[in-house]
Amino acid sequence: MHIPENYLSPSTCAVATVAMAPVWYCAVHHVREEVPREKMPLIGIAAAFCFLAMMFNIPLPGGTTGHAVCGTLIAILFGPWSAVLAVSIALAIQAVLFGDGGILAFGANCFNMAFVLPFVGYAIYSLIRSRVEGERGELLGAAIGSYVGLNVAALLCAIEFGIQPLLFTTADGAALYCPYPVWVSVPAMMLGHLTVAGLAEAGFTVGILAFLHSAVPSFGIETHAAGTSGLAPVIGLVVALVAATPLGLLATGDAWGEWAAEDLAEMVGYTPAGLEGGWEWSSLMPDYSVGALPEWVGYILSAVIGVALLVIIFRLAANLARPTVDFDA
Amino acid sequence: MPEESDNPIGDLPDWLTSSQDYRPGPDRDGFIMRNLLSLASVLAQLRLDDGRDGPLSPSPPVKLLLALGAILLTSLSRNYLFVLAMLAVVLVRAAMLPRAALARVTGGSLAAAGLTLVLMLPAALIGQPRSALFLATKSLVTVGITLTVALTTPKAHLTSALRQLGMPAVVILTVDLALHGIVRLGQTAQEVLVALRLRSVGTNRAKGATMGGVGGVVLVKASRLAQDSYDAMRCRGFDGSYRTGASWRPRGADALWAAGFALVLALFLYLQGVV
Repeated sequence: MHIPENYLSPSTCAVATVAMAPVWYCAVHHVREEVPREKMPLIGIAAAFCFLAMMFNIPLPGGTTGHAVCGTLIAILFGPWSAVLAVSIALAIQAVLFGDGGILAFGANCFNMAFVLPFVGYAIYSLIRSRVEGERGELLGAAIGSYVGLNVAALLCAIEFGIQPLLFTTADGAALYCPYPVWVSVPAMMLGHLTVAGLAEAGFTVGILAFLHSAVPSFGIETHAAGTSGLAPVIGLVVALVAATPLGLLATGDAWGEWAAEDLAEMVGYTPAGLEGGWEWSSLMPDYSVGALPEWVGYILSAVIGVALLVIIFRLAANLARPTVDFDA
Repeated sequence: MPEESDNPIGDLPDWLTSSQDYRPGPDRDGFIMRNLLSLASVLAQLRLDDGRDGPLSPSPPVKLLLALGAILLTSLSRNYLFVLAMLAVVLVRAAMLPRAALARVTGGSLAAAGLTLVLMLPAALIGQPRSALFLATKSLVTVGITLTVALTTPKAHLTSALRQLGMPAVVILTVDLALHGIVRLGQTAQEVLVALRLRSVGTNRAKGATMGGVGGVVLVKASRLAQDSYDAMRCRGFDGSYRTGASWRPRGADALWAAGFALVLALFLYLQGVV
């Protein structure tokens, strides 16, 4: 679901970025007001889960791959505004360091995965939780919320791909950017996400949520238990996920809409002009790999760097959060 | 007894009661003052005395040696993967530091990397952006290692580690006093500059003399402080030799870290061959 560079027209990217600007502003404001300082590092760990979930590629019907996002999980644990920040920062690290998702398309990717996904997922979760009592309601809400959230995000992504050939073509009718129209992109994306990726998202969300409930009940914003104590099981889970990231390599093939320009040229018979002459960011470790070394080395290294960066960013962000001592009380 | 005047301010001289309209002329010293102040505050922050051992820290001499080795290997490496692997190690260690230390390590290493990137900008402009990035990552890693070691080791332990590694006593004394002096120098310069700014009104025509004065005051004060602390050390029986008490005792964590370093060394040798 990471839209690569030059698959969207610059104007589409600009619209998405402008749409995200107020969302980011509100997110920073809300997180500063609502999240206690000692809980900020926990958002970093949640963002690390999100980063790792996006590295586990799952083979989808039709020869492409997909992945979970875990945006709904963060929204349930820390509120949807925290999820906006956490997923945005995870996406930024992926785009800048690992070339996963475009820099110009960053706004569009954030709109789909960091804004729409957690808010839709959280709304459905809250709705179900208010109807069904107890932990069953919570896990059911998390499962359905995350499934629907991911699929809505995938649908938006497919529509963004699909409107490109309708809006931007050369004089002879060839597409300038993504060459597949809506009636191709929507079924192609949704088939995989409705069947496999959505279930993976629900599985990831419910599994991690159930684990956190039993192992570290204080993880999350609603509990007021002491901050970061007793985090050992969570850190263990993160380490296990990091070690398991090479499993994401078992799925061969690219995700739908994330092909390299030459692969796309093979499929449609020409290279869209926008892709041929477009600007591209040269990241540190493109596609999570380094040089001639085995892919799994690059994958684990990327996972470690990404997770450590996210934890550091959110621990430092805690300095900017409101202090926990309330002098008015 | 003098007769009391009706007007309580009647005794005041005339020039004090008449209102004046003094407008100090504009002075352009903002640039100098701000720069000197920020420089002084950087010096004042070079404190090494807030280091704390972590639970899994190796003993100080081992830590120093391993850090030196890691910095050397990172600088020698011609392979980007090795630098990235070191970056991963530094990041993971930094993520576990206390928050204040983490902020200092991040700030210091990012500043160093940014400076390197700026210095290497010409390379990027003539078509070698990779080498600029490569060097910036290297300085990020090496400064990160240095700061992490400094912030996870109490200063006294660093001194004794240097002695255990066979460093001559006079070198350690100089380094000790210099480090101490630099911090005090920064603090003094900061205080003098703030005092000067608070008392300055109007245009200063002799900026050179002012700066000379500030420098001179700082130097005199610093040398007096150094002399004082050396005298204090003498009074407490310091005879110029550093005895480290019990000889070095290896910790369990040392073996772990040494094994880790051996892995890093193997990776280095392998990757240098791959390039």
